[in-house]
Amino acid sequence: MDTDFFWIYDIPPAKLALLSIAVFVGFYWLGLIFIRPILRQFVKNTPAANDIVGYILSCFCVFYGLLLGLIAVTAYQNVSEAGSNVTREAAALSALYEDVSRYPEPHGQNLRWLLRDYTRYVIKYAWPLQQRGIIPEEGTIRAEAFNDRLLDFEPRTPAQEILHAEALRQFNHFLECRRMRLFSVKSALPGSMWYVMILGSILTIVMCWMFDMKFIAHLALGGILASYLGTMMYLIIDMNQPFRGDVSITPEAFETLYRRMNED
Amino acid sequence: MIPEHPMASRRGGVSRRQALAHGTAATLAAARALAPSLFVGCSLGIRSGGTTVPVGLLHSQTGTMAISATSLRDIELHAIEQINGSGGLLGYQLEAKAPDPRSRPDLFAKRATQLLEAGVVAVFGCWTSVSRKAVLPIFEQYKKLLLYSVQYEGNESSKYCVYGGSVPNQQIMPAIDWLTGPDGGSKKKIFLLGSDYVFPRTANFITKRYLASKDLRPAGEVYLPLGHRDFTAAVQQIIFSGADCVLNTVNGASNLGLFQALADAKIDPAKLPVVSTSIAEDELRSLLPHQVQGHYAVSSYFQSLDTAANRQWIDGFRSEFGSDRVTGDPMEPDWCLVHLWKAAVEKAGTFETEAVRQAFRDGLSFAGPGGTVRLDPKTQHCTRYFRVGRIRADRQFDIVHQSDAPIDPDPYPQIAFPGWSCDWTKGGITRGPEVSIDGDI
Repeated sequence: MDTDFFWIYDIPPAKLALLSIAVFVGFYWLGLIFIRPILRQFVKNTPAANDIVGYILSCFCVFYGLLLGLIAVTAYQNVSEAGSNVTREAAALSALYEDVSRYPEPHGQNLRWLLRDYTRYVIKYAWPLQQRGIIPEEGTIRAEAFNDRLLDFEPRTPAQEILHAEALRQFNHFLECRRMRLFSVKSALPGSMWYVMILGSILTIVMCWMFDMKFIAHLALGGILASYLGTMMYLIIDMNQPFRGDVSITPEAFETLYRRMNED
Repeated sequence: MIPEHPMASRRGGVSRRQALAHGTAATLAAARALAPSLFVGCSLGIRSGGTTVPVGLLHSQTGTMAISATSLRDIELHAIEQINGSGGLLGYQLEAKAPDPRSRPDLFAKRATQLLEAGVVAVFGCWTSVSRKAVLPIFEQYKKLLLYSVQYEGNESSKYCVYGGSVPNQQIMPAIDWLTGPDGGSKKKIFLLGSDYVFPRTANFITKRYLASKDLRPAGEVYLPLGHRDFTAAVQQIIFSGADCVLNTVNGASNLGLFQALADAKIDPAKLPVVSTSIAEDELRSLLPHQVQGHYAVSSYFQSLDTAANRQWIDGFRSEFGSDRVTGDPMEPDWCLVHLWKAAVEKAGTFETEAVRQAFRDGLSFAGPGGTVRLDPKTQHCTRYFRVGRIRADRQFDIVHQSDAPIDPDPYPQIAFPGWSCDWTKGGITRGPEVSIDGDI
């Protein structure tokens, strides 16, 4: 699920869920019609075939369910961690803004102006790029511009020395948080997990095809199972990348900060 | 009637085959009906690549020129956001690409090449003449437009450059007229102080020629490296020269050092005013008011210009970038230049360079915050007003003089470059005798 599939995230969430369910149910139903008659040949003469398939499926589903559950939790933790990074970066930026507000003019105004510029860039330009899975680069230039100007300041009193040291410390903390946000833009479940998940879904469906039951009942019960598998898959796809999809991180922390910066 | 297959099972009167046929038909019908709405909003990658057009913004965001140049990037972003907000240009959204050349001419050339290779349709950029001259050959090679909005020294005209700022006959020569006239205090001893690069050297060459035409000579002439901060010795030279005025072509953060040295030497602006060509409201933010108050700047635009169009423009910029942001000379021409380019693209119906240049030939005009400007198709320069501002304690200017109408551009003033002219509607540049800028007059 890397950039090759980024178009998936352009689909509105409700439609993506519907699409995921439709793919799974469609696969189940088509297999029921075209593949099941072949598969049934393997078990049709086996006594109590439904019981055997049922036992194997139950056993398999325990492992597969556990896997799906763990992956869903991991994906959610990724989103949650990236969200924390964003909040920490905004908080560090806010603290830095407070620090430089106490600098003598014109340094203070210049530094505040650069931080506002950075915040505006993150909201207006970086976020849309992140939502497309692209790491925004021009924020680095803005951070460097601030660093340049911060280092231009030469403290003249002990109080200014303390303030400057604190601003430098806060700036380094901000840089750390910023770097973590950028790393999380590309964070996603590894490809091998996706292969195992998709294989598990296919095997679950294949085993269901082996049950001997009335066709309409098979369509209905299998459809229900496949639709839930599709829903689970949608949930994991949606949470897979922290800045994409419905369950994603918004720039709200930066927007709140920018509003406050402009009120000053 | 087709006989029922012996293996066919009954499902409430419907055979399995019929159920399959109906089910398949219903599934296909549902898929066909849902597909269009399902994929509405899904760009399949086309949106990001297909409906945006990249535009380059080449301004130093770090280094000695950052203090000035960053505001140009911001006003260009503001203009682009406004164009995009009103539906884009020719149906395309403009995508700004703004690398940082770090105030280094070599990096300007490198970044310009990178931008052009990335497929930008035009580049708005550069502040210093040295940076502009470093990138112009690259634009000529790639046959793309550079749109340059800062006042400069003239003596140049490129087929692939559109100049939005003032040239000497629109800024420095009127400034000399004003200074030597009664309104400017009838000054006779003008000291020329500049950063050591193309603009100050050429501007002062023209100044010396122009002063000579008035039977005047400069009281002195000093150049210091770009980025230089210690002006103590230069200020001593000014004092010892007996100058009654300083024409300041120092650029960038060096002005901090200059005005610090002037203040340390207790120079009284009423007796020895400094008239700056490259200081606008944005630069004043970094200068201490008590050091600069009473000195002058010559420009085509000041934020304090009291017109409805100007107030509206300032409000728009501040609502986006913060209420303490200021506007100034290169920003206003830059805004006009973006809109003149937009008008040319709309007129051409394409982003293609030659078609856009062709559209310039009709002499496009734009009602900017500082007044209406017209793009002169012969020189690819803009008409500009001339204004003199006296620096106030609140880091703004009192406009003490203004030209009656916009002045037509002349990148080759005949007093300095006899025989030289340019007309891009005909053959381009007409060359006169070679002129040595460093030659004595």
